[in-house]
Amino acid sequence: MAKYTLQVNGRARQVDAEPDMPLLWVLRDLLHLTGTKYGCGMGVCGACTVHQDGRAVRSCQITVSSAAGKKYTTIEGLSASGDHRCQRAWIEEDVSQCGYCQAGMVMTAALLLVDKPHPTEADIDAAMSEHICRCGTYQRIRKAIHRAATEGKRS
Amino acid sequence: MKPTRREFLQSVAGAGLILAIDARAFSATDRTADFAPNAYIQINADNIVHLWVTRTEMGQGVRTTLPMMLADELEVDWSQIRLEQAATVSRFKGIRLRTSGSGSTVGTYNALRKAGATARVMLVAAAAERWGVEPATCRAQAGTVTHLPSGRTFTYGSLAEAAARRSVPENPLLKDPRDFRYIGKPMKRTDGPAIMSGNAKYGLDTRVPGMLFAVVKRCPYLGGRVASFDRTKAMAVRGVRYVVPIKTGLATGVAAVADHTWAAMKGADALVVTWDPGPNRYFDSDQFLQEMENGLNESGYFVRGDGDAEKALASAAQKIDAVYEFPFQAHAPLEVMNCVADVRSGSCEIWVPTQTPTTAQEDVAKQLGLPQESVKVNVTLTGGGFGRRLFVDYVPEAVEISRAIGKPIQVVWTRSDDMRFGFFQPPSIVRIAGGFDQDGKPLVWSQRSVGCDLSMFGSPTEQDLADSLHYFKDGSPWGAFDNPYNFANLKADFVRRNSPVPTGPWRAVEYPAQVFARESFIDEMAHAAGRDPLVLRLELLQPGDILKVGDAKIDRGRLIAALTLVAKKGNWHGPPRSIPGRDWGRGLACNIYSDDCFIAQVAEVSVEKGTGDIRVHRIVCALDCGRVINPLGLEGQTESGITWGLTAALHGRIDFKNGAAVQENFVDYQVLRLNEAPVIETHIIPSDLPPGGFGETAVPPVAPAIANAIFAATGKRMRRLPITPKKLIT
Repeated sequence: MAKYTLQVNGRARQVDAEPDMPLLWVLRDLLHLTGTKYGCGMGVCGACTVHQDGRAVRSCQITVSSAAGKKYTTIEGLSASGDHRCQRAWIEEDVSQCGYCQAGMVMTAALLLVDKPHPTEADIDAAMSEHICRCGTYQRIRKAIHRAATEGKRS
Repeated sequence: MKPTRREFLQSVAGAGLILAIDARAFSATDRTADFAPNAYIQINADNIVHLWVTRTEMGQGVRTTLPMMLADELEVDWSQIRLEQAATVSRFKGIRLRTSGSGSTVGTYNALRKAGATARVMLVAAAAERWGVEPATCRAQAGTVTHLPSGRTFTYGSLAEAAARRSVPENPLLKDPRDFRYIGKPMKRTDGPAIMSGNAKYGLDTRVPGMLFAVVKRCPYLGGRVASFDRTKAMAVRGVRYVVPIKTGLATGVAAVADHTWAAMKGADALVVTWDPGPNRYFDSDQFLQEMENGLNESGYFVRGDGDAEKALASAAQKIDAVYEFPFQAHAPLEVMNCVADVRSGSCEIWVPTQTPTTAQEDVAKQLGLPQESVKVNVTLTGGGFGRRLFVDYVPEAVEISRAIGKPIQVVWTRSDDMRFGFFQPPSIVRIAGGFDQDGKPLVWSQRSVGCDLSMFGSPTEQDLADSLHYFKDGSPWGAFDNPYNFANLKADFVRRNSPVPTGPWRAVEYPAQVFARESFIDEMAHAAGRDPLVLRLELLQPGDILKVGDAKIDRGRLIAALTLVAKKGNWHGPPRSIPGRDWGRGLACNIYSDDCFIAQVAEVSVEKGTGDIRVHRIVCALDCGRVINPLGLEGQTESGITWGLTAALHGRIDFKNGAAVQENFVDYQVLRLNEAPVIETHIIPSDLPPGGFGETAVPPVAPAIANAIFAATGKRMRRLPITPKKLIT
């Protein structure tokens, strides 16, 4: 066991953990941030996506020892009151069905719009196809990304 | 005579789902100022209206549509509503909490409307009495009763106490559908904001004070068990507190119980277990599929029999036949199976994402030797159900572990557990033979389906099996039994072949396999006879009547309407698209789901020359499912069902080798991703007929529409799912 200090949603958080503990479980079980989801445990479904120093990463593939000192944002910290333009667009387009995958989707989409303020269909394909939605909300995800893009920059 | 409350509640429940409930027992607060005329509604003095949702939210939108029905008749504003999730508590005693068969809308529409209307009538009567006026001069709207002549108002909250003392009206007048405020309007999901902020609580997000986490190392062999184990290495993993062998559930093994999920996973990995592989050590699904195919040579149980199919086939001027295969499939909802159990002396509380909380309660009561009311099952949000969560095998194992260690625990399945140990969609082999007379008119349809019984429904008894009409009486297999096409000579039978693999309902249950075969073969018949597949279908649905088979009433007219609309919107007779380097085609398929939903789809697909790369460009869907409660939800379910169907058509397959499932994660069990998702267009046929269930309806036509489009594009007939580029180029 060792102590690690992580920057999560703008706060320094200290955890006692084995060095190989994935960030996903640190967030969920030690910091009680359960908005980040477990889906596959091998980085292929995207449900556990968080921001690491402004990049979308799979928290199930990052060990706590390598996370120390880096800045993380989870779905809980994406906006102060759930009103990031992607969150609003997702609600507006009624994207969620079971909703389990959507936090990960939104985390990736939020950074896609930073990189490409007006993404093409191909940009959306490239960014979002690393995620799985078993309910099949893909069409509305596309619409929500376009809606968030046209809303311009906020948050 | 006025009905008693018991009678009233029984009557609103339709099928006697609700037994006596004392209104006072409903009050969560025991404040007398609250008004709770039935199990679904409670109006507090603060004018907040609590509506209880008795179905499990799995993404199909029940936590939106059920309150819409209640709120519409109750006449409350959407902003006044607080949703409560029904748990197995005395309030719902006698109500079987269960979500299945696309039945939530169908099963609650009348009951919830009546429940809302009852409360509204009582509130209006209470206001009228206070004012000393006739109730007819008062109107309820947006949570307020207004005396129309004077304009005086009372909020529902201020009437709650008085309304609670009134007798329950016999037959409250339901609204004229023209006055619906919510029903039929597009309503966004009530849980949308909570989901998007990350605050929505799924089963896996349940946290109970003092809770530990358990992961089970499970016997990989179907029906195998633990022979012996050594806990030393697992206990050496930091954070692991206990090692507990488990005997309950679907896949037994040894649990590592730890401070957090990761330690439990590592602990389970570290466990050294010797397995007794049991009787299925060499089970192989390829061999099983071959055995199923051999079953085509046996005679089966009667399913349908009109005219004389054998004679007609013998005399047919032109004959074709074909065999179709549908493999094992997994549900793979994104949230893995999980359950929190807190076993105390004399009671037990459960938190679980399940479609069947009442079954869980019964099972746990039996397991612990407790009266049923001592077990409380809380239903969380559910990260996908699709039929998998009709089973509660993960509940007894959580109970077993919690009881063994005397602490609350959460059992967490890994993704590999989920893929390997489910109640799989069983495979199916179908052979159909068809014939035409000398004039090219369709003369005969003869179908033999080889399939499995679902573990869910329990194996048929010997007495059942001695009855040659057993499957006919059961209306099974769906899609073969309710074949809507009008052949003078039509035969269908069913050959049983069961494997050691646990099987259960998967989205649309028996329809996907049977409809894949039926709708592919209709297409084959059309091409064999040089007919247009749409025109042939429309001809075979004449005279557009209601066909009665057993208990089923098959409305061919409504299916004709769906086909006609989809042909128009999908530009069926339009020119083909030309894409350089690719072959392009359109395919059509249709189905009737459970008598009450009518659906037709046109798929546009292209295949790359040389590589066989498949691209589904667009699926146009026309549907009639009676009165639509929430068109936005219906459209979402259409897109969802089509995406599910595409996974089955293009990717889905579970294999078993040496008694164990081969696929373990989304790497080897691929599901459709966004870059493969087509444009989906949904066209709803308006209807005043009773609402039909729609959670599954869109699935069955997808695979045949794709296969038919691929045939149109390439001339290659794909009869075995999944359809892959490799199959297309070999």
